[in-house]
Amino acid sequence: MFAQNETKPPPDMKTIDPQWAWSPYQPDTRRPWNLARAGHLYRRAAFGADWNQLQRTLDEGPRRTIERLLAPQADVAAFNQQFDRYETSSAASNSTDALRPWWLMRMMQSPHPLLEKMTLFWHGHFALSGAKVKNTRLMSRYVQQLRGEALGRFDSMLTALSHDPAVLLDRDAGANRKSKPCEHAPRELMAGTCLGNGNFSEKDIQEAARAFTGWFVLKGQVRFIPREYDSDAKQILGERGNFNDTDVVRLLLKQPATPRLLVRKLYRLLISETDEPSDAIVEPLAQSFAAEYDIAALVGLMLRSNLFFSPVAYRRRIKSPVEFTLGIVKGLEATVPAVRLGRDLADLGQNLYEPPTSAGWPGGRHWINPATSLARANLAFALLSPKKPYEGKLDPMAVAQKHGHQTGEAAERFLLDLFLQGDVETTVREAVLKHKRSEPSQELRRTAHIIVSLPEFQLA
Amino acid sequence: MSPTRREFLKTSVGTAALASLATCPSSLTAAVGARRDSGDKVLVIVELAGGNDGLNSIIPFEDDIYGRSRTTLRLTRKEVLKINDQLGFHPALKGFRRIFDEGHLSVLQGVGYPKPNGGHDGAVMDWHSAQPHQTNRQTGWVGRVIDSREQLDSDFAPAVVVGQINRPFCLNAERTIVPSINSSRDFVLRSAGNTESLSDHHRRLVESAEPPRTESDNPLLDIVRKNQLSAYSTSRRIDEVIQKIPAMEGHYPQSLLAGKLHTISQLIRAETGIKVFFTGFGGGGIGGFDNHANQRDNHAALLRQLSESVAAFVDDLKRQKLLDRVVLMTFSEFGRTLKENGRKGTGHGSAAPMFLAGGKLKGGLVGEHPSLTELENGGPKHHTDFRRVYATVLDNWLGFDSRPVLGDGFAPLDVFET
Repeated sequence: MFAQNETKPPPDMKTIDPQWAWSPYQPDTRRPWNLARAGHLYRRAAFGADWNQLQRTLDEGPRRTIERLLAPQADVAAFNQQFDRYETSSAASNSTDALRPWWLMRMMQSPHPLLEKMTLFWHGHFALSGAKVKNTRLMSRYVQQLRGEALGRFDSMLTALSHDPAVLLDRDAGANRKSKPCEHAPRELMAGTCLGNGNFSEKDIQEAARAFTGWFVLKGQVRFIPREYDSDAKQILGERGNFNDTDVVRLLLKQPATPRLLVRKLYRLLISETDEPSDAIVEPLAQSFAAEYDIAALVGLMLRSNLFFSPVAYRRRIKSPVEFTLGIVKGLEATVPAVRLGRDLADLGQNLYEPPTSAGWPGGRHWINPATSLARANLAFALLSPKKPYEGKLDPMAVAQKHGHQTGEAAERFLLDLFLQGDVETTVREAVLKHKRSEPSQELRRTAHIIVSLPEFQLA
Repeated sequence: MSPTRREFLKTSVGTAALASLATCPSSLTAAVGARRDSGDKVLVIVELAGGNDGLNSIIPFEDDIYGRSRTTLRLTRKEVLKINDQLGFHPALKGFRRIFDEGHLSVLQGVGYPKPNGGHDGAVMDWHSAQPHQTNRQTGWVGRVIDSREQLDSDFAPAVVVGQINRPFCLNAERTIVPSINSSRDFVLRSAGNTESLSDHHRRLVESAEPPRTESDNPLLDIVRKNQLSAYSTSRRIDEVIQKIPAMEGHYPQSLLAGKLHTISQLIRAETGIKVFFTGFGGGGIGGFDNHANQRDNHAALLRQLSESVAAFVDDLKRQKLLDRVVLMTFSEFGRTLKENGRKGTGHGSAAPMFLAGGKLKGGLVGEHPSLTELENGGPKHHTDFRRVYATVLDNWLGFDSRPVLGDGFAPLDVFET
């Protein structure tokens, strides 16, 4: 069994024992609690760590750190209310361009980065296009809805989102008449959000569409107009009744395909993008998730697991553009101008509020082609430049000195530890460190650029 | 690294050309630098945003209905650049006329689609998605083409948007990220300079990506590394082209569109493997093609910019012996109404001509000029569906099967030399 071999992932994922996989990881001499595992945890459960966070995590161990990442001590609610107000003041604009910087600032500053990370995940799952919705206030509220349940309950999120005005407008369901039921919205719900293709029929969609009739978006408000509701009997997913919209949500949550789809998607976010997990690995989590649809419990279980801290998961995910840039920003303990950052992220393929299609961002290896690889290196260069366009907000030398590294080479080694926990092969380390050292502060910016441009840093 | 190469690097820094060489060790070129097949085809799409007046682009100067309907905007037999005894180019289309005579321009007449949308947003979506009147349109026609490629990362980028503020929907893809640039410099690895310390930085960047990760069997690490090395080598080629050819060489006029086409020419020359370029000009606002009032001078200026820029692009590619690999295609969301609107302008119409420019075209007029008695939305009715033109450039030029992208029933037009 894989549990015994800890240097590489097993050649066949089927040999992984689910019981072992999902049991909490306990550090031991073979699998010690170290900087590499601390860095891994912060890449997945946050947007990367600064040096003090890594040190504290080393002291506290995985269990307490994960508790803290799931539910920090800080007043998260107050922080988010403040940002909700900032967003409201921008919502008069008719473009999501006004919202994007606020979300990025939230990600950079939030005392609860995992919440933002999960909100972004759900934004890809319930993917809407701001350009189609054409209402900044509704787009802002939709993401706030996602944030409200991002680590809450999936059943509540599904209920809220199936009546969210932005969702309805995006899915051509702004006027859902009895005579012309909208099939787009139930199709998205079944194919993308809950069941996945192959787990429903065209008939299920047509019947569910009838159950959703009567709902309208009027002046940005959702209204139910009883005379437009089709109250006749429907046959949906093998059951018959005078179903309405809430019944459809209930039926979807009852299907075993729903928790399976979500567990697999979260597996890609938190464990690995390289291998599809076996049914045996997915099933125990799907079953426990279906009982309460408690997202934090599922995420916590995955983060605490043996599998999470094993080579199956380590660097087995390609950072999204947001994760890539925030990893640099977080490590260097600053924030950077967010309007510009939002535009640059769009060029890397991740335009917040504008996922490419209703399937969200495909992610993984689709983030990477030569042009986006070049764009990542150039964005990192801009972020680390002492001048425009990011105004030199990131200062690797100041951070290295703060943590006790004065000379050139010591500071460079510190950056390798900070960004990659020193985990690069000798040849790579030599290529990074071997150069003439002249003006120290300029040099360190360049070294930082080289480190964050390494293939290893593109992985989460 | 061998001592001789290290010596070479040491002595080579300081001059720009050699510094850019130093960024790409020979082993790297061998690994990823296989040059493109010179037969690789390129499509350049130019959007004339706002609705170009087809009737004042290719002018039926002998048709009385035309003359009667356009009391202030009509162009007479004496003014037009005659193609035959019925039709002529707008007088501002001198460049078009010249490349038409050289056989490098095909004019596809009467292009549109059934039940044309009369509003900008709807019509733009119809042309960009190539799925007119459908709801729930998620991807553009070029986006679907590039998503259908088997090898997702074999090229630097399959398509690129040049100099556009907003991302055109036709490149929206489910899986493929399409970069958007303002100049070729955006595709050059930053830090490339000619001072010693900067090129040293550049060298470290490449050399730290280069070593194969021996201890790892992580497929993601290999994918990232391979794409980075390919990016750095393409960046070097683009840099070389920029260094070799000073700005706007090739006698491009000073215009926004000419600048964009010049950028595209540089990227074609650098053998980037980019198959589709998208750019555009005009727009719905002031200075765009949407001329509801006082159309004459504004429209003439736009056509002049279009024709001079495209002609300069054709000349440039011809000189570089690249013209046989390139087709440029214009489109606009609709033509304009036959009748003037009383404000010396025109309203939103329907069918209009599309222009194709390139080295492998048969050239000439393709299809009849549409009738001025059978109108739709107040403009000429189409006889050729625009999806047949898309099918033409997909099936007979880029070599992609158009059916999964456009559906069945759009036969390609016979416009290419065999």
